[in-house]
Amino acid sequence: MTIIDCQNLKKRYKRLNALEDITFQLEEKKITGLIGRNGAGKTTLLKILAGFIRKSSGDIQVFSNNPFNNLRVSANSILVDDQMSFPDSLTLADILEVAPDFYKRWDTELANNLFKYFRLNPKQLHSRLSKGNRATFNMIFGLATRCELTMFDEPTNGMDEAVRSDFYRALLKDYIAHPRSILISSHHLAEMEHLLEDILLIHKGKVIFHQSLEEIKDYAVALQGPTDVVEKMTVGKEILHTKQMDSQRKYVVIRTEDVPAIEGVKIHPVTASDVCMYVTSDRKGGIDDVFK
Amino acid sequence: MDLNTDSTKPIYMQIAEWIENEIIADRFLSDEKVYSQYQLAELFNINPATAAKGLTILVEEQILYKKRGLGMFVAPEAKNMILEKRRNETLTRMARELVHEARRLSVTEEELIQLIKKCEEEQK
Repeated sequence: MTIIDCQNLKKRYKRLNALEDITFQLEEKKITGLIGRNGAGKTTLLKILAGFIRKSSGDIQVFSNNPFNNLRVSANSILVDDQMSFPDSLTLADILEVAPDFYKRWDTELANNLFKYFRLNPKQLHSRLSKGNRATFNMIFGLATRCELTMFDEPTNGMDEAVRSDFYRALLKDYIAHPRSILISSHHLAEMEHLLEDILLIHKGKVIFHQSLEEIKDYAVALQGPTDVVEKMTVGKEILHTKQMDSQRKYVVIRTEDVPAIEGVKIHPVTASDVCMYVTSDRKGGIDDVFK
Repeated sequence: MDLNTDSTKPIYMQIAEWIENEIIADRFLSDEKVYSQYQLAELFNINPATAAKGLTILVEEQILYKKRGLGMFVAPEAKNMILEKRRNETLTRMARELVHEARRLSVTEEELIQLIKKCEEEQK
């Protein structure tokens, strides 16, 4: 079943086209990574999906409804981000206590166990939490809602290493126990790619690709060897990235095809994270070129 | 076991190989049930769909068979099939690399055969 259907979705802020043309469908009960550079439009897309802001044009259906001002979407989805706000008249313990009134699938046991595990203070106010603890609390809240569509916008920002890896593990375990549709945005693809089934890569408000993680890993390979040999091999090919290793050797990333094996040239795999970085790059070199 | 996420080998292939290794080591016996995609996902901390892909490969190769609603089981001839496959693929590849390296080091065919025989003796 399709739970999200976007057709030519556009969002325009006063002077900025945040989303140029977004078309994709999301099948239910998959974990999908929403990947993109800073300013790609990830947050705008998530806010439209959650019904927080209105689209400018195009079509968007979440659970077959336009999400903006829609009760069905609000009740069955959650967007966890660092702007989540809770009333200051409630302590963290109070928030967890009233949550089941808003989310019918709320899991009290999971919420309480995670709350204790991460040693949060039940008497504290949400607005007084440190950045890391606020991210942790929001994550607990998001997981415990068990919403059919659970969205996380950069959930691990502010979390330390240990909490991050605990978060990813908790997400996976709870997903296995209660499969649901999870959309998670991050700059850090490498640290969460093992969790993902699909990747939705957006750049400058457009979808670059929406594929399984394995397909993205097969997208490109890197050749490394003597500069003249590597250059000869890559003539006429689409070059995604190049790097001069030293005076004699060059590193070039090209689309995966049958690259002839040539003595002295090594073929390396390119990680999904690097593929995403290269295809969304407007330049072919790297930061080193700035200092030439 | 840890998976190597940087390896050229896709994770689902590594899962398939791990199950094969368990079968070779007699930790999964013929007609015994193997782990489900969810158990594998939890064990290796990976997406269940990736784990399922690893199982599917083994079903296609008839190393595992499916029982509807019950899960995946080890085929009676699985161990022999894996050993045969590894002999054909892995050993051939290693032999090729060996010959390649020998040539690079100007080791003659004669010398290489002597070397193999010597190693054979040492293992006896």
